[in-house]
Amino acid sequence: MYSGAGGGDGSMFAGGGFMPSQSQANDFGGGGGRRSGSQNSGLLPLTAKMISQAIQKPSDENFYVDGVDVNNVTLVGMVHDKEERATDVSFQLDDTTGQIEVKRWSVLLTLLAHHSPWNFTYVRVHGHLRSFQGKRNIVAFSVRPITDFNELTFHFLEVIYVHLSNIRAQGGTAAAPTHAATAGVGPHGIATIATNPSHYNQYLPPASAMVGGNVDECQKRVHMIFEEPESLLIEQGLHIDQVAQRMVGYSRQQVKEAIEFLVNEGFVYSTIDDDHYKSTNA
Amino acid sequence: MADTSNPRPMVNAGLLKKYLGRRVTTVMKVLRSDGVDLVGQAPDGTSVTVHKAPLNSSSGGAFSQFVEVVGIVEGENSLRAEICTNFGDSFDMATYNQLCQLANSDNKDCFI
Repeated sequence: MYSGAGGGDGSMFAGGGFMPSQSQANDFGGGGGRRSGSQNSGLLPLTAKMISQAIQKPSDENFYVDGVDVNNVTLVGMVHDKEERATDVSFQLDDTTGQIEVKRWSVLLTLLAHHSPWNFTYVRVHGHLRSFQGKRNIVAFSVRPITDFNELTFHFLEVIYVHLSNIRAQGGTAAAPTHAATAGVGPHGIATIATNPSHYNQYLPPASAMVGGNVDECQKRVHMIFEEPESLLIEQGLHIDQVAQRMVGYSRQQVKEAIEFLVNEGFVYSTIDDDHYKSTNA
Repeated sequence: MADTSNPRPMVNAGLLKKYLGRRVTTVMKVLRSDGVDLVGQAPDGTSVTVHKAPLNSSSGGAFSQFVEVVGIVEGENSLRAEICTNFGDSFDMATYNQLCQLANSDNKDCFI
């Protein structure tokens, strides 16, 4: 994919010092050089089944699902066996794929009584995945009742989407061996953790969260289009739409913004009207 | 581990025969109910009968237009209900139907 955006790798287009540094942009973008110890501070929608299959490395406390480290998780399911104690509220969450314990520490007793989930209600849980005495559970910071049940359908579709997105980032072939390895979760799981040097994952915090790649990459490619010999020969330059057509995977808005950036930096200028631009290198 | 020993996969009518005797989850559009049985439309449009359909206590007295049924599959078009939950009157069945298909085919490992 967009391997030029690797954090810390040499970039073809340093931009003469005017472009934001590649590593800065990519620390958040999750594109470049994500090492296996680094934190994914995005949010993963999961099911109980996926949690039971998650790999845990013996050397660290992290869980890994589909090659991505698990931090914040969200699940949707039905509350069972709710127990209210002085220190916390806990229940089993049944999300059609299985049951997992969810625990929420008490903040204020009065608040809790009001907002306590009831048995047989559907809730949306946000929290962290933890392991205690070999059993996995969720420590929740948010448990909210579901009012529109389309949210249920949405959650599971999102689970599938993110799952496929992460699997494909690993090269697609990871699907079969990953699950063979997770059959006996534990020390065997290490081998299947893939580092994804060039995967763009929209569920990571988006400093440059655009469809199809990051902003630097877009600007670089748009500039290159303007720098082509054929482009330089056209007197009125190129129309935005002509450039957008060639920028597969980027929206017209992204291309427009890239051109605006290049104009501000002095690399291109507008010619016959606001839609035609040409490189200043003529 | 999370307990995945007793899943209740989301299905439409066409998938019921795959899960004979097993616990499943589906959402029905209520056609008629006589207090004991419920006849409804499954996500893929086929009519399904639900036996002994109790409404869970948090739902109040009556069924809404859409009801989620968790129960054991008794036949190709019938279920014996364990839990019924009112899903309100505006639930997108077409999307749920597609979800059932996706969850039971290529993406099974996330679910079952």
